[in-house]
Amino acid sequence: MAYHSPYRGAPQNNATPDQSFLWNIFQRVDKDRSGVISDTELQQALSNAMFDRENKGGVNFSEFGGVWKYVTDWQNIFRNYDRDNSGFIDKNELKQALTGFGYRLSDQFYNTLIEKFDRQRKGQVAFDDFVQCCIVLQRLTDVFRRYDTDQDGWIQVSYEQYLSMVFNIV
Amino acid sequence: MAFPGYGAAPGGVAAMQQDPLYGYFSAVAGQDGQISAEELQSCLTHSGISGTYKPFSMETCRLMVSMLDRDHSNSMGFPEFKELWQVLSGWKTTFMSYDGDRSGTVEGHELQHAFNAMGFNLSPQAMNIIMKRHSFGGRVGFDDFVGCCTKLRALTDQFRRRDQQQTGTALFQYDDFIQVTMSI
Repeated sequence: MAYHSPYRGAPQNNATPDQSFLWNIFQRVDKDRSGVISDTELQQALSNAMFDRENKGGVNFSEFGGVWKYVTDWQNIFRNYDRDNSGFIDKNELKQALTGFGYRLSDQFYNTLIEKFDRQRKGQVAFDDFVQCCIVLQRLTDVFRRYDTDQDGWIQVSYEQYLSMVFNIV
Repeated sequence: MAFPGYGAAPGGVAAMQQDPLYGYFSAVAGQDGQISAEELQSCLTHSGISGTYKPFSMETCRLMVSMLDRDHSNSMGFPEFKELWQVLSGWKTTFMSYDGDRSGTVEGHELQHAFNAMGFNLSPQAMNIIMKRHSFGGRVGFDDFVGCCTKLRALTDQFRRRDQQQTGTALFQYDDFIQVTMSI
Protein backbone atom coordinates (compact mmCIF):
# COMPACT_ATOMS: atom_id res chain seq x y z
CA MET A 1 0.00 0.00 0.00
CA ALA A 2 1.32 3.42 -0.90
CA TYR A 3 0.47 4.98 2.41
CA HIS A 4 -0.58 3.79 5.82
CA SER A 5 -3.57 4.87 7.81
CA PRO A 6 -1.64 7.28 9.94
CA TYR A 7 -3.20 7.91 13.20
CA ARG A 8 -6.23 5.77 12.66
CA GLY A 9 -5.32 3.66 15.60
CA ALA A 10 -4.89 5.68 18.73
CA PRO A 11 -3.78 3.22 21.37
CA GLN A 12 -7.04 1.98 22.84
CA ASN A 13 -7.63 2.84 26.44
CA ASN A 14 -9.49 -0.25 27.64
CA ALA A 15 -10.39 0.97 31.09
CA THR A 16 -13.72 2.80 30.84
CA PRO A 17 -14.08 5.32 33.65
CA ASP A 18 -17.29 4.82 35.66
CA GLN A 19 -20.28 7.09 35.25
CA SER A 20 -20.04 9.00 38.52
CA PHE A 21 -16.38 9.72 37.94
CA LEU A 22 -17.13 11.04 34.47
CA TRP A 23 -20.02 13.11 35.72
CA ASN A 24 -17.82 14.81 38.29
CA ILE A 25 -15.28 15.64 35.65
CA PHE A 26 -17.91 16.83 33.26
CA GLN A 27 -19.34 19.24 35.78
CA ARG A 28 -15.94 20.54 36.66
CA VAL A 29 -14.92 21.13 33.07
CA ASP A 30 -18.26 22.57 32.21
CA LYS A 31 -18.05 25.19 34.96
CA ASP A 32 -14.58 26.45 35.34
CA ARG A 33 -12.50 24.90 32.57
CA SER A 34 -9.95 23.42 34.96
CA GLY A 35 -6.52 22.39 33.74
CA VAL A 36 -7.55 18.75 33.44
CA ILE A 37 -8.56 19.26 29.82
CA SER A 38 -7.18 22.38 28.16
CA ASP A 39 -9.53 24.76 26.37
CA THR A 40 -7.68 24.32 23.16
CA GLU A 41 -7.92 20.54 23.15
CA LEU A 42 -11.57 20.57 23.96
CA GLN A 43 -12.28 23.25 21.40
CA GLN A 44 -10.33 21.34 18.84
CA ALA A 45 -12.34 18.19 19.43
CA LEU A 46 -15.65 20.01 19.55
CA SER A 47 -15.03 22.21 16.56
CA ASN A 48 -14.29 19.14 14.51
CA ALA A 49 -17.82 18.08 15.34
CA MET A 50 -16.39 14.73 16.22
CA PHE A 51 -18.51 14.29 19.27
CA ASP A 52 -21.48 16.56 18.73
CA ARG A 53 -23.68 14.00 16.99
CA GLU A 54 -26.76 16.20 16.88
CA ASN A 55 -25.04 19.35 15.66
CA LYS A 56 -25.90 21.28 18.79
CA GLY A 57 -22.63 23.16 18.94
CA GLY A 58 -21.68 21.36 22.14
CA VAL A 59 -21.64 17.97 23.80
CA ASN A 60 -24.01 16.40 26.28
CA PHE A 61 -22.94 14.03 29.00
CA SER A 62 -23.10 10.82 27.03
CA GLU A 63 -21.01 12.33 24.21
CA PHE A 64 -18.63 13.70 26.80
CA GLY A 65 -17.50 10.18 27.68
CA GLY A 66 -16.19 9.96 24.13
CA VAL A 67 -14.39 13.30 24.48
CA TRP A 68 -12.75 12.18 27.70
CA LYS A 69 -11.51 8.97 26.19
CA TYR A 70 -10.25 10.78 23.11
CA VAL A 71 -8.24 13.28 25.13
CA THR A 72 -6.72 10.65 27.41
CA ASP A 73 -5.74 8.59 24.36
CA TRP A 74 -3.92 11.64 23.00
CA GLN A 75 -2.27 12.27 26.34
CA ASN A 76 -0.97 8.72 26.39
CA ILE A 77 0.47 9.11 22.92
CA PHE A 78 2.06 12.41 23.80
CA ARG A 79 3.60 11.00 26.96
CA ASN A 80 4.90 8.08 25.00
CA TYR A 81 6.85 10.33 22.66
CA ASP A 82 7.86 13.02 25.15
CA ARG A 83 10.76 10.79 26.13
CA ASP A 84 12.50 13.30 28.34
CA ASN A 85 9.21 14.21 30.05
CA SER A 86 9.70 17.88 29.37
CA GLY A 87 6.04 18.47 28.57
CA PHE A 88 7.14 19.41 25.07
CA ILE A 89 7.91 17.35 22.02
CA ASP A 90 11.07 18.38 20.22
CA LYS A 91 11.89 17.84 16.58
CA ASN A 92 13.34 14.37 17.05
CA GLU A 93 10.50 13.18 19.24
CA LEU A 94 8.02 14.56 16.69
CA LYS A 95 9.84 12.72 13.96
CA GLN A 96 9.58 9.47 15.89
CA ALA A 97 5.91 10.02 16.59
CA LEU A 98 4.91 10.83 13.02
CA THR A 99 7.13 8.17 11.51
CA GLY A 100 5.53 5.77 13.96
CA PHE A 101 2.12 6.80 12.64
CA GLY A 102 3.25 5.97 9.12
CA TYR A 103 4.13 9.35 7.63
CA ARG A 104 7.20 9.67 5.39
CA LEU A 105 8.36 13.24 5.76
CA SER A 106 11.72 14.87 5.06
CA ASP A 107 13.95 16.07 7.87
CA GLN A 108 13.66 19.66 6.67
CA PHE A 109 9.90 19.41 6.75
CA TYR A 110 9.94 18.79 10.50
CA ASN A 111 11.44 22.25 10.93
CA THR A 112 8.50 23.63 9.01
CA LEU A 113 6.02 21.66 11.12
CA ILE A 114 7.45 22.98 14.34
CA GLU A 115 7.47 26.53 12.97
CA LYS A 116 3.86 26.14 11.97
CA PHE A 117 2.45 24.58 15.14
CA ASP A 118 4.71 25.83 17.93
CA ARG A 119 2.39 28.46 19.43
CA GLN A 120 4.57 29.18 22.43
CA ARG A 121 7.53 29.89 20.13
CA LYS A 122 9.84 27.56 22.03
CA GLY A 123 11.07 25.54 19.08
CA GLN A 124 9.11 22.56 20.43
CA VAL A 125 5.47 21.58 20.43
CA ALA A 126 3.28 21.53 23.51
CA PHE A 127 0.50 18.98 23.95
CA ASP A 128 -2.22 20.98 22.27
CA ASP A 129 0.06 21.97 19.38
CA PHE A 130 0.93 18.31 18.91
CA VAL A 131 -2.73 17.33 18.82
CA GLN A 132 -3.52 20.05 16.28
CA CYS A 133 -0.60 18.98 14.08
CA CYS A 134 -1.74 15.37 14.07
CA ILE A 135 -5.34 16.35 13.37
CA VAL A 136 -4.34 18.49 10.40
CA LEU A 137 -2.21 15.65 9.02
CA GLN A 138 -5.12 13.27 9.49
CA ARG A 139 -7.59 15.60 7.77
CA LEU A 140 -5.27 16.04 4.79
CA THR A 141 -4.85 12.29 4.59
CA ASP A 142 -8.61 11.78 4.71
CA VAL A 143 -9.24 14.27 1.94
CA PHE A 144 -6.46 12.80 -0.18
CA ARG A 145 -7.92 9.31 0.24
CA ARG A 146 -11.31 10.50 -0.92
CA TYR A 147 -9.81 11.56 -4.24
CA ASP A 148 -7.47 8.60 -4.58
CA THR A 149 -10.14 6.26 -5.88
CA ASP A 150 -7.71 3.62 -7.12
CA GLN A 151 -5.68 3.81 -3.91
CA ASP A 152 -2.33 4.05 -5.62
CA GLY A 153 -1.11 7.06 -3.63
CA TRP A 154 -1.61 9.51 -6.52
CA ILE A 155 -4.38 11.96 -7.28
CA GLN A 156 -5.12 14.13 -10.27
CA VAL A 157 -7.11 17.21 -9.39
CA SER A 158 -8.25 20.45 -10.98
CA TYR A 159 -7.26 23.81 -9.50
CA GLU A 160 -10.73 24.26 -8.02
CA GLN A 161 -10.69 20.81 -6.45
CA TYR A 162 -7.27 21.43 -5.00
CA LEU A 163 -8.31 24.68 -3.37
CA SER A 164 -11.51 23.17 -1.99
CA MET A 165 -9.59 20.21 -0.60
CA VAL A 166 -6.99 22.07 1.37
CA PHE A 167 -7.98 25.67 1.93
CA ASN A 168 -9.78 25.16 5.19
CA ILE A 169 -7.43 22.55 6.56
CA VAL A 170 -4.05 24.25 6.34
CA MET B 1 29.58 47.35 5.45
CA ALA B 2 28.63 44.29 3.49
CA PHE B 3 26.29 41.73 5.02
CA PRO B 4 26.58 38.54 3.00
CA GLY B 5 23.17 37.33 4.14
CA TYR B 6 21.24 40.10 2.45
CA GLY B 7 21.70 38.81 -1.07
CA ALA B 8 22.27 40.79 -4.20
CA ALA B 9 20.20 43.93 -4.03
CA PRO B 10 20.13 45.79 -7.33
CA GLY B 11 22.58 48.68 -7.22
CA GLY B 12 24.68 46.96 -4.58
CA VAL B 13 24.97 47.58 -0.88
CA ALA B 14 25.04 51.37 -1.06
CA ALA B 15 21.72 51.51 -2.89
CA MET B 16 20.23 49.05 -0.44
CA GLN B 17 21.22 51.15 2.53
CA GLN B 18 19.51 54.17 1.03
CA ASP B 19 16.34 52.19 0.52
CA PRO B 20 13.81 53.33 3.13
CA LEU B 21 12.60 49.76 3.45
CA TYR B 22 16.05 48.73 4.52
CA GLY B 23 15.69 50.86 7.60
CA TYR B 24 12.64 48.91 8.78
CA PHE B 25 14.22 45.60 7.90
CA SER B 26 17.62 46.13 9.50
CA ALA B 27 16.01 47.39 12.70
CA VAL B 28 14.82 43.85 13.40
CA ALA B 29 17.16 41.63 11.39
CA GLY B 30 19.94 39.74 13.11
CA GLN B 31 23.52 39.22 11.95
CA ASP B 32 22.40 36.64 9.45
CA GLY B 33 20.30 39.20 7.59
CA GLN B 34 17.14 37.16 8.00
CA ILE B 35 13.94 37.87 9.86
CA SER B 36 11.52 35.49 11.54
CA ALA B 37 7.72 35.74 11.48
CA GLU B 38 7.77 37.61 14.81
CA GLU B 39 10.35 40.06 13.54
CA LEU B 40 8.33 40.54 10.37
CA GLN B 41 5.29 41.36 12.47
CA SER B 42 7.25 43.95 14.42
CA CYS B 43 8.76 45.34 11.25
CA LEU B 44 5.48 45.68 9.37
CA THR B 45 3.74 47.21 12.38
CA HIS B 46 6.44 49.87 12.69
CA SER B 47 6.45 50.58 9.01
CA GLY B 48 2.79 51.54 9.17
CA ILE B 49 1.95 49.64 6.01
CA SER B 50 -1.37 48.66 7.53
CA GLY B 51 -2.26 52.34 7.78
CA THR B 52 -5.39 52.70 9.85
CA TYR B 53 -6.05 48.98 9.64
CA LYS B 54 -5.12 46.68 12.50
CA PRO B 55 -1.57 45.30 12.43
CA PHE B 56 -1.04 41.83 11.00
CA SER B 57 -1.57 38.82 13.22
CA MET B 58 1.21 36.32 13.90
CA GLU B 59 -0.51 33.72 11.76
CA THR B 60 -0.66 36.07 8.77
CA CYS B 61 3.01 36.96 9.24
CA ARG B 62 3.90 33.28 9.38
CA LEU B 63 2.00 32.77 6.12
CA MET B 64 3.85 35.66 4.50
CA VAL B 65 7.27 34.28 5.48
CA SER B 66 6.24 30.87 4.21
CA MET B 67 4.95 32.26 0.89
CA LEU B 68 8.40 33.59 -0.05
CA ASP B 69 10.51 31.01 1.78
CA ARG B 70 12.28 29.47 -1.19
CA ASP B 71 15.19 28.04 0.77
CA HIS B 72 13.02 26.46 3.48
CA SER B 73 14.74 28.42 6.19
CA ASN B 74 11.47 29.61 7.79
CA SER B 75 12.89 33.13 7.59
CA MET B 76 13.01 36.04 5.15
CA GLY B 77 15.91 38.02 3.67
CA PHE B 78 15.83 41.60 2.46
CA PRO B 79 15.11 40.88 -1.23
CA GLU B 80 12.08 38.81 -0.20
CA PHE B 81 11.02 41.55 2.19
CA LYS B 82 11.08 44.04 -0.68
CA GLU B 83 9.05 41.66 -2.80
CA LEU B 84 6.57 41.19 0.03
CA TRP B 85 6.26 44.94 0.47
CA GLN B 86 5.30 45.41 -3.16
CA VAL B 87 2.80 42.57 -3.04
CA LEU B 88 1.28 43.90 0.19
CA SER B 89 0.99 47.41 -1.21
CA GLY B 90 -0.91 46.05 -4.19
CA TRP B 91 -3.24 44.01 -2.01
CA LYS B 92 -3.85 46.96 0.27
CA THR B 93 -4.79 49.13 -2.70
CA THR B 94 -7.22 46.47 -3.88
CA PHE B 95 -8.71 46.11 -0.40
CA MET B 96 -9.11 49.84 0.04
CA SER B 97 -10.89 50.13 -3.28
CA TYR B 98 -13.63 47.94 -1.80
CA ASP B 99 -13.54 49.44 1.69
CA GLY B 100 -15.20 52.70 0.71
CA ASP B 101 -16.27 53.61 4.22
CA ARG B 102 -12.87 52.74 5.68
CA SER B 103 -14.48 50.36 8.13
CA GLY B 104 -11.52 48.00 7.82
CA THR B 105 -13.75 45.27 6.41
CA VAL B 106 -15.20 44.37 3.04
CA GLU B 107 -18.33 42.45 2.12
CA GLY B 108 -17.94 38.80 1.27
CA HIS B 109 -19.36 39.15 -2.22
CA GLU B 110 -16.93 41.96 -2.95
CA LEU B 111 -14.14 39.59 -2.09
CA GLN B 112 -14.88 37.53 -5.16
CA HIS B 113 -14.53 40.65 -7.34
CA ALA B 114 -11.28 41.48 -5.60
CA PHE B 115 -9.90 38.02 -6.28
CA ASN B 116 -10.96 38.13 -9.91
CA ALA B 117 -9.19 41.47 -10.23
CA MET B 118 -6.09 39.84 -8.79
CA GLY B 119 -6.24 37.02 -11.29
CA PHE B 120 -7.73 34.30 -9.10
CA ASN B 121 -10.80 32.88 -10.80
CA LEU B 122 -12.70 31.09 -8.13
CA SER B 123 -16.07 29.42 -8.30
CA PRO B 124 -18.84 30.36 -5.84
CA GLN B 125 -18.22 27.01 -4.12
CA ALA B 126 -14.54 27.76 -3.59
CA MET B 127 -15.48 31.24 -2.37
CA ASN B 128 -17.86 29.70 0.19
CA ILE B 129 -15.09 27.56 1.54
CA ILE B 130 -12.78 30.55 1.80
CA MET B 131 -15.42 32.68 3.46
CA LYS B 132 -16.05 30.02 6.11
CA ARG B 133 -12.50 30.37 7.27
CA HIS B 134 -11.84 34.06 6.85
CA SER B 135 -15.04 35.98 7.40
CA PHE B 136 -17.05 37.09 10.39
CA GLY B 137 -20.65 37.99 9.82
CA GLY B 138 -20.17 38.02 6.07
CA ARG B 139 -17.34 40.54 6.23
CA VAL B 140 -13.59 40.15 5.85
CA GLY B 141 -11.01 42.29 7.67
CA PHE B 142 -7.71 43.42 6.17
CA ASP B 143 -5.58 40.92 8.10
CA ASP B 144 -7.81 38.03 7.03
CA PHE B 145 -7.83 39.36 3.46
CA VAL B 146 -4.05 39.35 3.35
CA GLY B 147 -3.89 35.91 4.99
CA CYS B 148 -6.29 34.64 2.39
CA CYS B 149 -4.41 36.17 -0.57
CA THR B 150 -1.17 34.73 0.76
CA LYS B 151 -2.62 31.24 0.98
CA LEU B 152 -4.19 31.54 -2.46
CA ARG B 153 -0.94 32.66 -3.98
CA ALA B 154 1.04 29.91 -2.27
CA LEU B 155 -1.45 27.18 -3.21
CA THR B 156 -1.68 28.45 -6.77
CA ASP B 157 2.12 28.38 -7.11
CA GLN B 158 2.19 24.81 -5.77
CA PHE B 159 -0.51 23.75 -8.18
CA ARG B 160 1.12 25.40 -11.20
CA ARG B 161 4.41 23.68 -10.49
CA ARG B 162 2.63 20.38 -10.92
CA ASP B 163 0.73 21.46 -14.01
CA GLN B 164 3.59 22.44 -16.28
CA GLN B 165 1.55 21.84 -19.41
CA GLN B 166 -1.16 24.13 -18.06
CA THR B 167 -3.85 21.58 -18.60
CA GLY B 168 -5.74 22.76 -15.53
CA THR B 169 -5.12 19.54 -13.62
CA ALA B 170 -2.16 18.55 -11.49
CA LEU B 171 -0.79 15.27 -10.23
CA PHE B 172 0.08 14.90 -6.56
CA GLN B 173 1.77 11.97 -4.88
CA TYR B 174 0.67 11.46 -1.28
CA ASP B 175 3.91 12.26 0.61
CA ASP B 176 4.45 15.27 -1.61
CA PHE B 177 0.84 16.41 -1.13
CA ILE B 178 1.18 16.30 2.65
CA GLN B 179 4.44 18.23 2.72
CA VAL B 180 3.47 20.78 0.14
CA THR B 181 0.13 21.67 1.69
CA MET B 182 1.49 21.65 5.24
CA SER B 183 4.30 23.98 4.23
CA ILE B 184 1.90 26.83 3.68
